[in-house]
Amino acid sequence: MSILRSTPNASPQVHRRAFLADLGMGFTGLALGAILHADGHVRAGEMVNAPLDGSPHFAPRAKSVIWIFLSGGYSHLETFDPKPALNTYAGKTFSETPYPDPLKSPLHDKRSRAVLTVVRDKYSKIFPMQVGYRQHGQSGIEISDWWPHLARRVDDIAFVRNMYTTDNDHAAENQMHTGRHRLDETQPCVGSWVHYGLGSLNENLPTFITLGGPTRADTRESLGAYYLGPEHDGVPLGTDPGNPLPFGARPGDILPEEQQNEYALIDRLNRLAAIEYPRDEAVAARIRAYELAYRMQTAAPEALDVSTETAETFSLYGLDNDATKLSGRRLLVARRLVERGVRFVQVYPNGYGVWDSHQKLQANHARLCGEVDQPVAALLADLKRRGLLDQTLVVFCTEFGRTPAVEERSGGTDGRDHHPHGFTIWMAGAGIRGGSVHGETDELGFHAVEPAHYVTDLHATVLHLLGLDPRRLEVPGRKRLEIDRGQVIRQILA
Amino acid sequence: MRPNRLAILPLLVCISIATSSRGAASSADYLERVKPILAERCYACHGGLKQQAGLRLDTVALMQRGGDSGPAVVPGDASQSLLIERVSATDQALRMPPPGEGAALSPDELALVSAWIDAGAIGPPDEQPEQDPEAHWAFQRPTRPIVPAIEQVAWSNNPIDGFVAAEQSARGLTASPAATPDALLRRVYLDLTGLPPTRAELTAFREDQSPVAYERVVDRLLASPHYGERWGRHWMDIWRYCDWYGNAGSGSWWNSGCEIWRWRDWIVRSLNDDRGYDRMVMDMLAADELSPTDDESIVATGYIVRNWYALNYNTWKRDLVEHTGKAFLGLTFNCCHCHDHKYDPISQQEYFRFRAFFEPLELRLDRVPGTPDPGRFVPYGAASGGPESFPVKGGLIRVVDAFPDAPTQLYRGGDERDVAADLPPVAPGAPAFLGGDALPIEPVSLPPDAWYPALKPEVIEEDLRKADNAVVAAESNLTAATDEAGRVLATGELDSARADRESLKRRIAAERVRHLHAPGDLNQLSREASRAERLATLAREQLRLLKARQAVADAETAGNTEGLAKAQAELPAAEAGWESARQSVNEESETYSALGPQYVASSTGRRAALARWIASPQNPLTARVAVNHVWMRHFGRPLVDSVFNFGRNGKPPSHPALFDWLAVELIDSGWSMKHLHRLMVTSQTYCQTATCNADDEANRRIDPDNRYLWHFAPRRVESEVIRDSVLAVGGALDRAIGGADLPVDQELTSRRRGLYFNVRPLGFAGLGTLASFDAPDPAECYRRSESVMPQQALALTNGQLVLTQGRMLARKLSEELANSGSETASSEVAFIVAAYETVLCRSPTGDERQACLEFLQQQADLLARVGAQDLPAVTPEGLPPPAIEPAERAREGLIRALLNHTEFVTIR
Repeated sequence: MSILRSTPNASPQVHRRAFLADLGMGFTGLALGAILHADGHVRAGEMVNAPLDGSPHFAPRAKSVIWIFLSGGYSHLETFDPKPALNTYAGKTFSETPYPDPLKSPLHDKRSRAVLTVVRDKYSKIFPMQVGYRQHGQSGIEISDWWPHLARRVDDIAFVRNMYTTDNDHAAENQMHTGRHRLDETQPCVGSWVHYGLGSLNENLPTFITLGGPTRADTRESLGAYYLGPEHDGVPLGTDPGNPLPFGARPGDILPEEQQNEYALIDRLNRLAAIEYPRDEAVAARIRAYELAYRMQTAAPEALDVSTETAETFSLYGLDNDATKLSGRRLLVARRLVERGVRFVQVYPNGYGVWDSHQKLQANHARLCGEVDQPVAALLADLKRRGLLDQTLVVFCTEFGRTPAVEERSGGTDGRDHHPHGFTIWMAGAGIRGGSVHGETDELGFHAVEPAHYVTDLHATVLHLLGLDPRRLEVPGRKRLEIDRGQVIRQILA
Repeated sequence: MRPNRLAILPLLVCISIATSSRGAASSADYLERVKPILAERCYACHGGLKQQAGLRLDTVALMQRGGDSGPAVVPGDASQSLLIERVSATDQALRMPPPGEGAALSPDELALVSAWIDAGAIGPPDEQPEQDPEAHWAFQRPTRPIVPAIEQVAWSNNPIDGFVAAEQSARGLTASPAATPDALLRRVYLDLTGLPPTRAELTAFREDQSPVAYERVVDRLLASPHYGERWGRHWMDIWRYCDWYGNAGSGSWWNSGCEIWRWRDWIVRSLNDDRGYDRMVMDMLAADELSPTDDESIVATGYIVRNWYALNYNTWKRDLVEHTGKAFLGLTFNCCHCHDHKYDPISQQEYFRFRAFFEPLELRLDRVPGTPDPGRFVPYGAASGGPESFPVKGGLIRVVDAFPDAPTQLYRGGDERDVAADLPPVAPGAPAFLGGDALPIEPVSLPPDAWYPALKPEVIEEDLRKADNAVVAAESNLTAATDEAGRVLATGELDSARADRESLKRRIAAERVRHLHAPGDLNQLSREASRAERLATLAREQLRLLKARQAVADAETAGNTEGLAKAQAELPAAEAGWESARQSVNEESETYSALGPQYVASSTGRRAALARWIASPQNPLTARVAVNHVWMRHFGRPLVDSVFNFGRNGKPPSHPALFDWLAVELIDSGWSMKHLHRLMVTSQTYCQTATCNADDEANRRIDPDNRYLWHFAPRRVESEVIRDSVLAVGGALDRAIGGADLPVDQELTSRRRGLYFNVRPLGFAGLGTLASFDAPDPAECYRRSESVMPQQALALTNGQLVLTQGRMLARKLSEELANSGSETASSEVAFIVAAYETVLCRSPTGDERQACLEFLQQQADLLARVGAQDLPAVTPEGLPPPAIEPAERAREGLIRALLNHTEFVTIR
């Protein structure tokens, strides 16, 4: 949400379309009550494109994205990609099956690039599926029995079962968001590209918001804008409506009206400066930034305040249940944010890294699916009944799948290791062909069958649905490779 | 902003119009639409840089002449033109550009080129081929041009002004008048030290009628230690200073290294000492070879350490090549990591030759006096048997050529796994077109205390002192012992301490003869050292045995059966150890332990050769790149916009003659940075006003972007300056220089300057004031961004930094006014003036004074109306509470508003 920005390779003076036009309407002249709506946010009818926010490259199908990331790597084999052969050959090694040994495929080394020197994803003793599968909906798509709520929504969903990535450790989380392996140079994350390409529909809230997720400094690449600049970073919103933004709350010992008067003085003095220094375009931009800051301070807490939601909505999202209330609250807030015009909401619905099931996969996944199944299904249903699913793209993904073989490191018997070679994600909502399955892994659920989709194909699809062409999102002096841009997964588009 | 997208849209429109109508036909069409496609897609291999297959496509005549396969273009018939055949080939083996060198032409592009050929392939009659790449301006050694003679007297003293005025008058531009003294003072203070002048300094400057008052200020600021901090931070941007990047969970370093701040302090110190820029560059690349016993300089190799990447040494070398090229030479080597450079005459092989300068590198940890020896550096990772993390505490991190014979093997496509095993390893070398392919590389024979740091006199002295202290401590323990058991133990300890000291002395004596050519019989001394060391071992074992026996006796006395069993179990090992030590004492031997880690006794000299080549006055790029960086930070915009790319795809200089003059001047001044600063900030060009004036409209019509410097361009200050200025005007700034980096979470509470906080990649730094004002990303920050966004407003209105300093300053100013004794001094007007002069370094205008007066009245009324009992009193912990008296509290609000004034964050 930048008002003005000059970057390397651009003249600092280029911003001719400054905000001088806005200078007539200032803080003092503005009835504050008018901008601080009773309900504190700008309704859809009042949505504006910020002056520097470009229009899309072509007609968009989606206005907003809710990007749900399940951290730690959920098993495709126990969620959305049934492999009966695993049960048939349980306990045998790959070479004892009639299928080609996936460890000997040239794809193995291509898709598994280690950062740390730990031997990974090389196990060959087949571990049977830890849960049953059933067909659901008109489409008859099979998903595992740990998703009873989501099962009722499969006809809204397009599953992509031939995803792959290349990092066999958890930096794959960053890779899912930036498109680059840890050993390559870092790139901006997908949410930042959306922010950069489209900007906001509601100037009172950040354009790219994250809920839950990375807390540790070294895992924040998933919300970093890097060379796009900090104004395109994901803004982590806390769950406390009292102080959701960094510096977002008025100090406790200052009166609201007292601060309002201060903002008015700042505005008045800066307007005098604008007359004195017409050459400094930043003055006009700064006047505008202060107006927005003042409004944001109110709009962000309002968006997080779910107390105005009905009891029915509370129970739909599972806010009345200990297992589901964390995910439920984050996903409900996500809906409120897209409703208010936030472009990109990145949600880590439950704990950070929790899906990483090297051991006790059955117990772990059963519990975790229970934490997110109902809230995610509720989100789809809620968006749909509010007419928002037509303009909101919901993405459900993780950093990698899990090995078809049992992880035997340290004598393990009941878990699966990281598996970059094949995994499943799904999308629903705006522009998506619901009730469809695209792509597959091999019989043992090991390799995504070519042509498979690298993570940036997911980015390309998201950008495409938003009306953006990744080939036209460039910054001078910053090289984007072909692999960064990806290919749209057209097979799942409506 | 997205310049690219905005630029591309009109182009696409043109193409679709062209293809939907008749297509390109005229020579103007060729120049506007066809030639740019060929330039971008074909010239790299078929132009001035290379002539693959003997073919050039950079003029129509050359296309018609063609190459080894005949003419590329048959005018009037695209279908018969080889050019079209090859760019439209579906066979990947035939298609141009070849896969890997670029994507195929789009259908629109293809149609456009075809239509132009069909229409006769018309080009301009006087079309010139591309210039010889080696003739590119930046690759020629600068020579000193004559300073243009100009009419304006005031502008004729400083050569910079001569060049600038000549460009202005050639374009009909009129320079702006000089800035007011107030504006100029604040400008130059912030520019040279990053701190605003105090009110007293402002008053003194206003009253100083001397014609050289300004020059005196400049000299004083350049002599201030804060100059080094301010400009150190600028150079830290360019040299990618970074304290940490890694895994926070395990506390390990992946990038950079612990205590890298010693390099930062070296930068600050070197600038304050006006160490030549050439020398600084050389030290950063090769101080361990150029001054191998000078630890003060060796910390400069922190530049190389910063690029170290624990998980992959290819990444370390890759970053070194890329950023050494960009930072010092303005060359973009990173392109030729994967393939020959598309614009500059640098081959992929030359890329790897450049990397070979760095091939032998490893980290080395030396002992810092007064701290324990950190020991030898152990590479990270299970594969090398090293630790899973790198939590080294203390030590001087530097580099060493540990692998002198490591080959540099070319790999393909930028993928280190695809090694070109069929090609021989490459030798170190810089690009041939700059004369760097045959640098004299001589191995550097290192003095003993460089490769054997325990031999440094100060280390020996410290160790001996410690050994002496241990003996003294043991002696006093013996005196203090009260019973027999205590005396026995204390005697054992004293024996051991004495034996240790003796062992150290004997080993030092032997090592001095062995390595430092001290006189003496080495065999004899070695035997003595060996025996002394074994006696020390025996004394230690003796003590251990005493303690073990004492433990048994103590446990027996105390009737502690469990303790007794444990003590008895340890007895045999202690006895065996003593027995073994006793026997070994009688052996004849000349072996003894070294005093500390030893490294290779010579260094390859590769980096020294590279450093000398880069820092040579003959190098056409080095001085220019440095001048450009300094210029940009004084004038807001560089002379060459592409600050890290002076190659053929970079931008031309706006003032070529001035640029060359400054580059030569820098070299001739002994690469003195302070000389360069003084020249720039004392120029009339620099001293122009930033406010509008009568000539603006005419000037703007000619040069809307102020490329020819007809006014001073206001710019936002850097994140550190904002934070430091708040502290400075509040009177709270801690002006201590240097030292270990401070944790980022202290940013809002610490009063140290911003450059001392732990620097880490963006997104890792939290969301404090610094980050929201475009803190530098150490991954790459050749030029800072200047964004304006609401989060900044929130940080400065709600953040505790402004809240605290605002209250402190309001209180301070009120007290000063009350104590001044003047009758009008305590009036609100006096407060407003004092506040303006302190925060914004100028007096308020009439309108501003009126606005502030109304505000103070309005706030005081509000606060009085609400009443003290109803005022919220939830002051965050650690912050000063607001004033109780309404008028005084209103003043706090005024100070906060001025700290949020656009001028406060602007240099103008």
